[in-house]
Amino acid sequence: MIGTLVLVITVALAATALFGLVTTVTNRPPGRVHRIAVGICEVLVVVQAAVAVYLVLVNGVTLPEETTFLIYVLVSVCLLPIALQFATASDATAAAVTDPGTTPAASAAPAGADAGPSRWGGAVIAAGAIGTLVVVLRLQGLWSPVG
Amino acid sequence: MAERREVRATATGPGRLLIAVYGIFALAATARAGVQIAERFDEAPLAYSLSAVAGVVYILATIGLTGTGPGFRRLAWFAVVFELAGVLTVGAFTLLVPGDFPQETVWSYFGIGYGFVPLVLPFAGIWWLRRTARAG
Repeated sequence: MIGTLVLVITVALAATALFGLVTTVTNRPPGRVHRIAVGICEVLVVVQAAVAVYLVLVNGVTLPEETTFLIYVLVSVCLLPIALQFATASDATAAAVTDPGTTPAASAAPAGADAGPSRWGGAVIAAGAIGTLVVVLRLQGLWSPVG
Repeated sequence: MAERREVRATATGPGRLLIAVYGIFALAATARAGVQIAERFDEAPLAYSLSAVAGVVYILATIGLTGTGPGFRRLAWFAVVFELAGVLTVGAFTLLVPGDFPQETVWSYFGIGYGFVPLVLPFAGIWWLRRTARAG
């Protein structure tokens, strides 16, 4: 674990989370900026994960709770891509499946805000970023090399 | 029957945020319980079993809220109500008889270790399930 990198990751994730929440509040669906922000965060988290795993598995650093640490590493890398995928997925398919009984006119018009990636995508990204942040901070706490 | 057709999918709009949070908890709680049970189950069998139960409940809630249709809705209701009962019971228990819970679980002290999100989540889930049941 690299102290400076953890700090950079913390700032990047917090900024991404804040941005996601702001776009939800201002009623904007997730777009290119969200993807870039999540991409930057993900690259940082992956670099950190790679360094940590290298140190533990190859370089022989011993941790008191190695299994827990490695599982958290895995979780830290997985959260953001899943959140982004989920955030940018269209609401339209889900709505179409649920409302088989409604007339075409009714299903096309009503919840207009819900067609396509909704503004809630930003909040989903925020949740993913905060979740990742918690995991990263937990990793930092677990990083106490023995010897 | 007309009402059933107007049921809104739980995976739309703010429901998405709810599913995301449930998904994160499903992942976190299950992973944590997995490690606890695999490595040191003997230390606190009750607490670690509860962690595993919580993980499964979060997984079921995530699936129930993500899917569409009455079956998924029932699953979501079951999971969310179970979760509420769990967090209230375990939360009260840990507060009143602390000695019997040597190890932390997701639901200990009403989810204090997770920013009380485990306490808020079932209420949000119930609210959303009720809301989508009547909204068109």
